[in-house]
Amino acid sequence: MPIRFKALSYIYNKDMPYAHKALDDINLEIREGIVTAIIGETGSGKSTLVEHLNALLLPSEGSLEILDYNLIANQKQKFLKPLRKDVGLVFQFSEYQLFEETILKDVAFGPLNFGFPLEEALKRAAEALKMVDIPEELFSVSPLEISGGQKRRVAIAGIIACDPKIIVLDEPTAGLDPRGAKQIIDLFISLNRKLKKTIIIVSHDNEMVYNYCDETVVLSKGKIRYHGPTLELFADQEKLKEFNMLEPQIVTFRNLLIENGFKVSNEARTLDMLAKEIAGQIRK
Amino acid sequence: MNNLVFGKYIPIDSFMHRLDPRGKLIGLFLMIAAVFVTRSWWVFLGIAVLLAIALLLAKIGIKMIVQSFKPMIVMMIFLFVINSLTIRTGEVLFNIGTYPIYEDAIFNTLFVICRLLLMISITTLLTATTNPLDLTLGIEWILKPLELIRFPTHEVAMMVSIALRFIPTIIEETIRIMNAQKSRGVDFENGRISEKIAAILSLIVPLFSVAFERAYELADAMEARGYVPGAKRTRYRVLKFRFTDFMFIFICALTLALSIASRFVL
Repeated sequence: MPIRFKALSYIYNKDMPYAHKALDDINLEIREGIVTAIIGETGSGKSTLVEHLNALLLPSEGSLEILDYNLIANQKQKFLKPLRKDVGLVFQFSEYQLFEETILKDVAFGPLNFGFPLEEALKRAAEALKMVDIPEELFSVSPLEISGGQKRRVAIAGIIACDPKIIVLDEPTAGLDPRGAKQIIDLFISLNRKLKKTIIIVSHDNEMVYNYCDETVVLSKGKIRYHGPTLELFADQEKLKEFNMLEPQIVTFRNLLIENGFKVSNEARTLDMLAKEIAGQIRK
Repeated sequence: MNNLVFGKYIPIDSFMHRLDPRGKLIGLFLMIAAVFVTRSWWVFLGIAVLLAIALLLAKIGIKMIVQSFKPMIVMMIFLFVINSLTIRTGEVLFNIGTYPIYEDAIFNTLFVICRLLLMISITTLLTATTNPLDLTLGIEWILKPLELIRFPTHEVAMMVSIALRFIPTIIEETIRIMNAQKSRGVDFENGRISEKIAAILSLIVPLFSVAFERAYELADAMEARGYVPGAKRTRYRVLKFRFTDFMFIFICALTLALSIASRFVL
């Protein structure tokens, strides 16, 4: 069942002189089992949108259907905890949420809250930490003592350990070095490919979006301007101009290759794949 | 957190917002003095009318003022009950059982409550229309004479303005960390005591670590820009009294004068 936003609006500081409509009549269906990117300028409502997905914010108007839950404006909600277990939200600069004495305990904190028994929570925590490449000798170290990149990965492990069906990431790579960023993206792509998790990524990084995301939503001033296949969006020069977006370098490179007589398939979106395809043609 | 109205700044542009913060502070003191000096309902009425005009000029709805009364309601009811039962002057109005309730009890209490409401409204108007940083500049200016007895007005003002500057930041951080922990299944509203303690801990520890980090960064940034406590400094924004500010203070002073006069005349 897809995630359905139905005529959803969200107003900050309702009834105050400076009320602000952050989301305006959003109608959107996000398919399950794929990677969807949400892009848009700062202040376009991206974070507000994703905070609805696990009911941190409730719609001011309209409704949101997600998994078996239905969030309707102005209705008391009772099932927040199971919803939050099923929809994991990784915040921007998530490293600031760590607080337990040890890394392992911190990662097990979520699963314990969601009612997993201690033993299983610790097992899940250890597995999640392995997935994010935190070596076992760090398990008993304080999460406040490790590097920024490691902290980010521990925080992400804290969400993965809860075993959510949908994982939402708000700018997961902001402030990380390129290698750290790639590690994290690869991790989420593999969660999607292997475990069929639905992934929703809020990002400013168009290259990453082009490389990995199946569909893209463009938000601007609280409204949806585009929703469709990522490849179609980035192939459409006029749309890019309209949304004030730069063409990803990889697209420019691809187009140059095609212009110069190389045959490039539609699936080749990353540098690695392009390299592989043209390597064969150069040898000939 | 967002329901707190008392002391909240409303960032819009209006006549009241543009007044000089020093003038507004002086005006606030004069008006509150006027509210406390008088014993006349007519003066209250006059002040209420002035307040209504100021609210219109400030583009702040009456709703916000009413909301600012909310925290005081319990205290007012308490005051009303105690006063009604203890003041025993004037005519007997009616009896509760065999207990007489006097005229003065009701009217004096209503008067005190109106006095409080006016005071809260005036203060809310000041904080709603004055940027906290401007407010500290104003306070620093008013405290200036204390420098004669070597009171470090500038440092105190700097500390206060840094503290004020960081309140919204810290509130933002708090909401962010709360959201992050809610996403990990923490329930801040319900649950047993032990769960509540764990919930609070999951908020306090990261909040402290963020606050310290910010403090270090700020200290470094201030040093990097050559901040020396106690050194003579100039300001980018120079406060200037304009004609309207003098008019504003004049009206407030006139109100106080009339209020004092009302004690002798009425």
